[in-house]
Amino acid sequence: MAEMHLKNVSKRWGNFVGVDNFDLHIADEEFIVLLGPSGCGKSTTMRMIAGLEDVTDGEIWIGDRMVNRLEPKDRDIAMVFQSYGLYPQLSVYENIRFPLKVRKAPKEEHHERVMRAAEMVELTDLLERRPAALSGGQRQRVALGRAIVRKPTVFLMDEPLSNLDAKLRVSTRAQIKNLQHKLRTTTIYVTHDQIEAMTLADRVVVMNKGKIQQVGTPTDIYDYPANTFVASFIGSPAMNLVNGHIENGVFSAENIRVPGLRTDISGPVTLGFRAEDVSLAPDGEGELRAPVYSMELLGEASMISYRLGEALVSIKAPKDFRIEIGDEVGTHIPAAMCHLFDADTGESLRLSE
Amino acid sequence: MAKSVNQKPLPLVALSTGFVLLWLFLAAFPFIWTAWGSFKVEADFFSRTDWMNALTGPATEAQTGSRFTGDGYYGAWIEQGFWKAVVNSTIVVFCVVTISLTFGTLGGYALARSGFKYTFWLLIAALIFRAMPHVTLVSGYLLPFFEMNIWGYLPTTIIVLVAINQPFTLWMLHSFFLTIPKDLDESAMVDGCTRFQAFRLAVIPVMWPGVVTTGLFSFLLAYNDFTVTSMLLSQENQTMIPKINSFLGSTQQEGKVMYAVAAAVSAMAPLFVLVMVFQRQIVSGLTAGAVKG
Amino acid sequence: MPHRTFLAFIWPSLLAMLLFIAVPIVSVAYQSLFVEHQQILSEVESCGPFGCKSEVRVDAAAMAELRAEEPMGRYNGLGTYTNPTHLAFDEVREAWATSGSFGNFIGRVMNLPFYKALIFTLCYTFIVTPLVIVLGFCIAVAVNNVSARLKGPVIFFSLLPMIVTPLIGALVLFWMIDSRGVIGATLQVIFNDPQLSLKASPTLTWVTLFVYGVWHSAPFAFVVFYAGLQTVPQDTLESAMVDGASRWERIKYVTIPYLMPLATFIALMQLMDNFRVFEPIISFSAEANAPSLSYMIYSDLRSGDFPLFGSAAASSVLTIIGVIILLFPVLIRNWREFNRKA
Repeated sequence: MAEMHLKNVSKRWGNFVGVDNFDLHIADEEFIVLLGPSGCGKSTTMRMIAGLEDVTDGEIWIGDRMVNRLEPKDRDIAMVFQSYGLYPQLSVYENIRFPLKVRKAPKEEHHERVMRAAEMVELTDLLERRPAALSGGQRQRVALGRAIVRKPTVFLMDEPLSNLDAKLRVSTRAQIKNLQHKLRTTTIYVTHDQIEAMTLADRVVVMNKGKIQQVGTPTDIYDYPANTFVASFIGSPAMNLVNGHIENGVFSAENIRVPGLRTDISGPVTLGFRAEDVSLAPDGEGELRAPVYSMELLGEASMISYRLGEALVSIKAPKDFRIEIGDEVGTHIPAAMCHLFDADTGESLRLSE
Repeated sequence: MAKSVNQKPLPLVALSTGFVLLWLFLAAFPFIWTAWGSFKVEADFFSRTDWMNALTGPATEAQTGSRFTGDGYYGAWIEQGFWKAVVNSTIVVFCVVTISLTFGTLGGYALARSGFKYTFWLLIAALIFRAMPHVTLVSGYLLPFFEMNIWGYLPTTIIVLVAINQPFTLWMLHSFFLTIPKDLDESAMVDGCTRFQAFRLAVIPVMWPGVVTTGLFSFLLAYNDFTVTSMLLSQENQTMIPKINSFLGSTQQEGKVMYAVAAAVSAMAPLFVLVMVFQRQIVSGLTAGAVKG
Repeated sequence: MPHRTFLAFIWPSLLAMLLFIAVPIVSVAYQSLFVEHQQILSEVESCGPFGCKSEVRVDAAAMAELRAEEPMGRYNGLGTYTNPTHLAFDEVREAWATSGSFGNFIGRVMNLPFYKALIFTLCYTFIVTPLVIVLGFCIAVAVNNVSARLKGPVIFFSLLPMIVTPLIGALVLFWMIDSRGVIGATLQVIFNDPQLSLKASPTLTWVTLFVYGVWHSAPFAFVVFYAGLQTVPQDTLESAMVDGASRWERIKYVTIPYLMPLATFIALMQLMDNFRVFEPIISFSAEANAPSLSYMIYSDLRSGDFPLFGSAAASSVLTIIGVIILLFPVLIRNWREFNRKA
């Protein structure tokens, strides 16, 4: 059990910057999710923690040890890989036992520990099988079992669910959450799926282009995105972003006019609001009035979208609401639900509290 | 009845079949003919009167009393000591394959897993080395080997063949290692292995098909080599192929050419078996470089 | 993988290649600057029953001593490169000056040993390689069309000409085209010419060698193309079918473009292998009519009681330069790709 500290960690290949000045303190037993689009440096960060990639600059501390120069095997970590990394020539039992064997754990403990791990990941019936005879979900559970058979200081999980189908992903996700709760091991989890991040994490680290964009609890990140990148990455659908002007507390752009915003700034800004925070307005009213671009039925709601310049703006309407494409309908956007971002830098213009 | 979309028109199939049969004849006939003829006497195999004689063998019957004779084989293997060349060949081939694969798997693995630029240059250098005509290299060896007094011995030839084999072995194993997911050795290392343990315990067990295929090609190179073995081995250490060539020098005498024929057929036989058993691996090996690049 | 680990894994392989490929290349370049010692002649009185007479003989003992002292021979600079058996500058210049027509000039140059070997090697390389690709492709397409049951045996027999030792494969053909062998005799009957011999005329020898080359290498091209044909994207083929392409158009617009990279690969391998053509020349005893660069080196090393190291080395260096020129387009392409990636 340990806390971790990544001190200004960077990774460069020649001129290419993979990870730029990554600085993060991770508390003991915390579940951290690194979230970002592919190529944002999240996997590289994790591989540097594991020792599979050299650190160009900065220091990685696990507990009270600086591990930069240590081999992966000496870092006391366990890792679950995207394509599982199972040993095809070994049975499930031997796969789970492998770390005990190569780390020379006392022989008499092996069986008991393998069985305990297998039970936790519900594999006791399949121990004799080879990985090739398992389904994707089962293979994933073998990889998990192999990770928990020891008591490592840190769990690292590199997109462990991305090779599973949608349904399995939900159940395995729940299983991972439950395991981590039971084992109370510090866990770092890499994903590009914001729903996984929201459901699993104690804290989420949103990354883009090698840089940390925002660190916070899932609620923080959802409710107070630090910039337009985070706003457009989190939530489904993502936050609507409209470019326009603010003057005397009134935001305006083509087909949209929102009054009641803060009055201390003026000039070009980006307005953000979430689809579920707004509502349809009665005939002829509403801050946003435009012809409907498309209409999708989601079952629990209807989604209406408008085309405002470059941006596509989505609005959640009651599930029995119907309208023809091209007809006009108004939307009520409460000023309290709006976010403002700097038009150039994309940084949030939230008043500091 | 509607014709199935995938059905091929009859003339096309007929034409293809004819062409394939013609090719089969061209590819296989010389070997079958020679193998059959090796059991005849020279007067039949090289018949001045009628090529049918090589099939029926009247002269063989007249000279030996039977329609088939093992005289060529007896002469080559026993009289001319071809068996010794076979023993030498076996030693050379076995050592070359073992050492090549050992060096090659280690090197190929390193090339496949290192992300640094110099791997690219090493592979390019290997490509250039592979293109070097062997005889040019041999002309570089001879003088130093004479000077160092290591000319003529089997170990010298073995290590030279291993070296000549390396560029090819490296390329092939490198491309096989690339098909093995990195996750495998990385998870082994996280599980507590050193790099070498990960290589031995996690990667090699799934590499067998690649190793077998590459081994086949090392085998062929060592077995088929003429340039190196004929120049670097002394008379008494000769392997099969130079030995067969040395038979040719004495073919003016009646009957001696059949020794060469019999020896050639003897040297071909293991290759036939090899192709029969390992057809799939050979095909996969030939395409390994191509499909990737 | 850190540099240290990389080195730990690769050093045996690297060392072997350095010692036995890179160093010999350098050593050959160095050797080519030397030439054999001049013979030490000594006058010996040999006395017989009919009186004594003096004779000039090679002093074997002194020669051996000299060789032991300076095994490389004496320094000759680039002399070996320009002598009549190599680049033959003087002879070429003279031929240029004295021969009346261009054809005459070519004819005279062709009689110089190095140019003869070079021209044969180049012809062999650039005639056999395309033929191999075309024949291999035809076989692959044909095999793809025949019933699946035939495919196993077809591949088995097809591999034979390539797998069998080149020296033996060529010998097998050589025995068959012997005027007493089955093909040789049949050809005499067909052309009704009892004197016809494939070995006698230079042109026929060349043709025979080319035929052998194609026969030997076509299986390689066939197997590569055949494997490629199995992976032609079915979606594209089917969409071409839906778009109304005929069978031939599908081959032309889908299959052939898809197989192009494979053809490049085969061409590269074949250029490298054909450029060092050697064994068939031994098997066919074709050195008089069709020597190759490799054969030239071999025969220098085999000559007399002492190998002509200097001459062999000079030919080797010229051959290596040839290989590098041959590989140049590939190297350039790789270099460009590499730069694009980096």
